[in-house]
Amino acid sequence: MNLNGKIILVTGSSRGIGATIAKAFASKGATVIVNYIQNAGSAAEVVTDCKKLGGDALAIKADVTSAEQIHEMIDQVLGNFAKIDVVVNNAFKPYSFDPESRKQFWDLNWKDYQGQLDGALYSTYTLCQAVLPTLKKRTQGSIINIASDLVARPTIPYHEYTTAKSALIGFSRNLAVELGPLGIRVNCVAPGLVYPTDASLKTKEHFKEELIAQTPLRRIAAPEDVAGPVLFLASDWSKFMTGQTLYVDGGLVMR
Amino acid sequence: MILTAGYLPGLSPDEVEWQTLTFNRGGEQTEVSVPLLTDDQIKELSSDIKKASRHYLKGLPVSEILRTIDSAICQFLDRSNPYRQQAEKYLPRITGYDSEMVRLGLTSYLKTFRQSELRRFLSEDFFNPKILDEFQPLPKGGYGRAYGPDLLAHIWAGNVPGLPLWSLISGLLVKAGNIGKVSSFEPLMASWFARLIAEIDPRLGECIAVTWWKGGDTECQQALLNQADLVVAYGNNDTLQQIRDYTPITTRCLTYTHKVSFGMVSKSALDPIKAWNVAHQAAYDIVRYDQQGCYSPHVFFIEENGAVSPKQFAQYVASELDNFQKKFPRRTLTIEEAQDVALWKQTEEVKTFSDDCSAVMGDTDGTWCVSFSETPENLSPSGLNRTAKVISVQQLDDVPALISPYKAFLQTVGIAASPEELHRLACLLGVVGVTRISALEHMTVPEAGWHHDGRFNLLDLITMTEVERSAEISAEAFSNYVD
Repeated sequence: MNLNGKIILVTGSSRGIGATIAKAFASKGATVIVNYIQNAGSAAEVVTDCKKLGGDALAIKADVTSAEQIHEMIDQVLGNFAKIDVVVNNAFKPYSFDPESRKQFWDLNWKDYQGQLDGALYSTYTLCQAVLPTLKKRTQGSIINIASDLVARPTIPYHEYTTAKSALIGFSRNLAVELGPLGIRVNCVAPGLVYPTDASLKTKEHFKEELIAQTPLRRIAAPEDVAGPVLFLASDWSKFMTGQTLYVDGGLVMR
Repeated sequence: MILTAGYLPGLSPDEVEWQTLTFNRGGEQTEVSVPLLTDDQIKELSSDIKKASRHYLKGLPVSEILRTIDSAICQFLDRSNPYRQQAEKYLPRITGYDSEMVRLGLTSYLKTFRQSELRRFLSEDFFNPKILDEFQPLPKGGYGRAYGPDLLAHIWAGNVPGLPLWSLISGLLVKAGNIGKVSSFEPLMASWFARLIAEIDPRLGECIAVTWWKGGDTECQQALLNQADLVVAYGNNDTLQQIRDYTPITTRCLTYTHKVSFGMVSKSALDPIKAWNVAHQAAYDIVRYDQQGCYSPHVFFIEENGAVSPKQFAQYVASELDNFQKKFPRRTLTIEEAQDVALWKQTEEVKTFSDDCSAVMGDTDGTWCVSFSETPENLSPSGLNRTAKVISVQQLDDVPALISPYKAFLQTVGIAASPEELHRLACLLGVVGVTRISALEHMTVPEAGWHHDGRFNLLDLITMTEVERSAEISAEAFSNYVD
């Protein structure tokens, strides 16, 4: 797979899954926009790693729940590179996957849902709106939204998080229908529990072991496992696929 | 940043010569400064530790010692504690072990030293642990009290992080003064533990010292052995033979040599539901600390005629080793270690040329290897570092004959079998020299109070002072109330 010359925007890519996706793109020769919100140091490290891996990279600070900051980021990317080929909506509102201290339904209020909807859906909606004019011009592009396998199998009912990710999949399918005639593809990657990431640091060993026992490939995902399907959906290898959700969870969900 | 190992109460760092050990195994270079004492310093330190042990520790109730150890262990278990954070950060770097494996290993290991577990440990060896505090009536008559040595010398191995804590804590429980020599492979945990103890109880801290010398430095070793009342040493047979030779005849020397452990799986555990789980547990025992422990399995004997065949079981183990490689990647091997693995693998592959039923399974990077044999074979050590042999046997009762030639080397057996089989096999295995039987997945985590190599960890350290019944009766005649 050669992604030389491709401009890839990965939101929330200063750490965790996003950083791994960014580096995987760079290793195939792409230029990666490393979007981050807080940790400039980590983003700079990812940029350095991307360059070492044979790609190019640029870190841009932007809060993806702010329309203004998103537009500024897109302007900056277009100012530098004149195009965007692939957008990976990976950023989400910080969430701790801790089965023992999750909020139960009756402890949640609408603000909790709203926060996750803003983090997953509003940010994707806004970014898609912002990037669409440039994608339309070239009648090509691939948008990849990171969802979760909890949507199909809520092993632990992380209500607000999973509801937002479910909405993201519905959003993506509609957008795929809308943008298909324009040559732009929209797909989702739905990982299972990914360890280690900051969000899953508090997930206890015994829970991971239970999950592993039920997973046909008998382990839980590492950030690297998510990168492969994302690259596939970004590349021409998947050029006749749109509106799909790829589950990356070792076979826990099959559909 | 250079870390400092060692703990030397009463000695100022300026008076001591320091050497730097450099570790590259974890990918990043880490330097650790270690103390190298002169003969005179060892003598002086020994004398100070003996004094502190006699004047303070011998009078300290065991319950108090338990509380102090518990408090230190609690701090080590607390992930926000600076000592714990140092351990999580630096132990992977100096040992090369995966950081997650070290983190989880530390917790499962350290929790066996909580106060409740140490009480169990004490009562394993002492019917009445108060015998360590004061004279207690003995069942045979008279009174007895157990005394730990004034100076217990520990010569530690560094194969598994934190291992020195076993003998150091044992020493403290019997109120011994302790000087330990750390290994160049892992000099930190014992040093940190000694410092933590000293922070909690400074006077108890004066009863412990942790030092270093380069393996084979017979002068330093001799200086310590001359001062010690009792020696506990870990290592290979050559090292231990040398330590024995240098230990004065009047000083007892307890040696823990290299051992070989293995697993057994009954056909009752080999149905399509249970077999994978058992293989997962077996693979975990192989992976944990890359088979560097005496309790790590080298071979698995698998019973035939289960719903899952021994060969299928071997394949499950292979697949699980592959999964564990992603979860807990194996450390980078030294050239010697890589050669041992390659040689073992080559030998196993040669066997498959003449035997169609044998198979060697491994990943392309050589990070693990499973060799399967359909015909019974004697126990033999693996190439270590995630290499294991799976041997098919008609029935598990055949296994004792395959291991009996190695009696002196046997230690742990991990068993997956029904209760009836477990107890029948225990009788057969005990006779041929096995000293510990555990569940699979627990082979590398001995329970609190286990008898290391079948010995009594605490009883081996003490001497009894007995007041015989005759003395009591005779004293009666001299009492002021005699009629």
